[in-house]
Amino acid sequence: MENLKEKVAQLEDYIMKKCLWQFHSRAWDRKTQNENILKKATQLLCDEPVELETPADRCYWADALSLTEGFRSRYEWLTAMSKEDIKLLMQGLKERIDFVTITGSLNAELTDPRY
Amino acid sequence: MPYHEFECSKCIPERKKHAVVKGPGEDLTHALPLGYLNTIPGSISERGCAYCGAKHVIGTPMKDVIHLSHGPVGCTYDTWQTKRYTSDNDNFQLKYTFASDVKEKHIVFGAEKVLKQNIIEAFKAFPEIKRMTIYQTCATALIGDDVDAIADEVMEEMPDVDIFVCNSPGFAGPSQSGGHHKINIAWIKKKVGTVEPKITGDYVINYVGEYNIQGDQEVMIDYFNRMGVQVLSTFTGNGSYDDLRAMHGAHLNVLECARSAEYICNELKVKYGIPRLDIEGFGFEPLSASLRKIGLFFGIEDRAQTIIDEETARWKPELDWYKERLKGKKVCLWPGGSKLWHWANVLHEEMGVDIVSVYTKFGHQGDMEKGIARCEVGALAFDDPNELEGLEAMMTLKPDIIFTGKRPGEVAKKIRVPYLNAHAYHNGPYKGYEGWVRFARDIYNAIYSPIHQLSNLDISNDEISIGTGFQTAKMLSDVNLSDEVVSSATLRQYTGKYDSVSDLRKKTYPEFKK
Repeated sequence: MENLKEKVAQLEDYIMKKCLWQFHSRAWDRKTQNENILKKATQLLCDEPVELETPADRCYWADALSLTEGFRSRYEWLTAMSKEDIKLLMQGLKERIDFVTITGSLNAELTDPRY
Repeated sequence: MPYHEFECSKCIPERKKHAVVKGPGEDLTHALPLGYLNTIPGSISERGCAYCGAKHVIGTPMKDVIHLSHGPVGCTYDTWQTKRYTSDNDNFQLKYTFASDVKEKHIVFGAEKVLKQNIIEAFKAFPEIKRMTIYQTCATALIGDDVDAIADEVMEEMPDVDIFVCNSPGFAGPSQSGGHHKINIAWIKKKVGTVEPKITGDYVINYVGEYNIQGDQEVMIDYFNRMGVQVLSTFTGNGSYDDLRAMHGAHLNVLECARSAEYICNELKVKYGIPRLDIEGFGFEPLSASLRKIGLFFGIEDRAQTIIDEETARWKPELDWYKERLKGKKVCLWPGGSKLWHWANVLHEEMGVDIVSVYTKFGHQGDMEKGIARCEVGALAFDDPNELEGLEAMMTLKPDIIFTGKRPGEVAKKIRVPYLNAHAYHNGPYKGYEGWVRFARDIYNAIYSPIHQLSNLDISNDEISIGTGFQTAKMLSDVNLSDEVVSSATLRQYTGKYDSVSDLRKKTYPEFKK
């Protein structure tokens, strides 16, 4: 478990330092972003088909692919993981990113209903 | 992540929640500075007003427009030419500034008449310009002048002109950010969708939140052109008024700024279904990832990769020459808003400097989240700084250089800390691969300038040696480097031209088959 937590922390650090998609301006935007991009990233890491039907899908996919390329180039331990373990890892990552950017965030503007 | 209380601000206890130190093992849920709140009385803020944010930051980079302030001439004059948003039409919007020149008598009797006279006079003085933006100011907002009604009257009398009214007087928000918000939302509501888009390519984008500081936009447009991507509009640097009325025709919005630029993209997504990709033009790795993402979206990632490979091969050896000499230098990254997060991590990774502090004058908590997430442990992050806090931070952190605006920059110089202009740049553009090297060169020149050998002396106390000459920048920077680095055959200093933008305007681009 500690091992998984440590791996999640490394991936979280990468996202926080290299990505912007997790920091949209409102909680509902962040929820959609986290959900779609991390879902597609999990599919890419597990060699599963990724839905590319709509322009929005293509945006999520472009961010997800960029993310997984970054993960693979930095964290060699990813290649040794089974698909089941990757799914578990990405689920832990999603929970952590949701916490840091939405549910645990101290940003008072996240729930402002108006721009 | 404990809150940080400045010694100088103990008499303003509310300030404590505007500053934090990033602690080991802590994250954004432990503490986050307050942001986008009214400045606390007694704190001499470095912020601008909402009028300035609307006109000077967002509106005026639009190039083919008469930008007229309805108010006293000081509002216009004091915001004129303080930022270098150049354009490819001989900088019309920088060369001229317009005001209705409201005086005391107009406050008593109303200023609508003088406004109308000035609008007509300005159009007659520049008959080739058919577009105008009018900016409301505090005085004319308080007396209740109906600027929209006057604009409508003029458009009826002069059917070939179009006028956009920006109702963002100085008091309309805690900082310039309130003005960014007002002008952006007003543009979307009033102007987008009123001109038919001219689509000439297969892949069409709006470039949102880019202000062409010293040519940044033109550098990025060059990459997009080389990829065969049509830039329908740029909001707003080097942007054309009518192109921006046609934003609804793009396939994709690429976004570089924050907050209210995000609102534009979100509104275009809701109203017209155009998706948004966040990109970055600063630094080799973020820029490469951004070009690749745009390429992926359109299915032309091979074209992006060609540019990435060419530009990296050309400029990386020059960036690395500076990185070797900047490693470990301490930086206070104190810009207005978005550069705090655009630069925090990539400066550390690609130039080797340590960011010891970040601040934002007008950013929101979202900007702080991104900035703190991207800087290293130990950095001091604070919101809406005042001059004394800036001085205290420099005295305690002892940075080798700060990146900030020219007002706090001049303060830094007085205590012998070199500064680079983060808003308007010193020798930009700083975007693009070459631009990033130009930034590294400016940092190097600022830190190692021989002038510090003289300026750091106190002639009332220090002994002044008259028998020795100055050390050059290279003598100073290379003193602790290995022979391998000093005599490297691959690393080299910047070899670009003084003007890296003008040649881009003469370039022709290949036509791509779909």
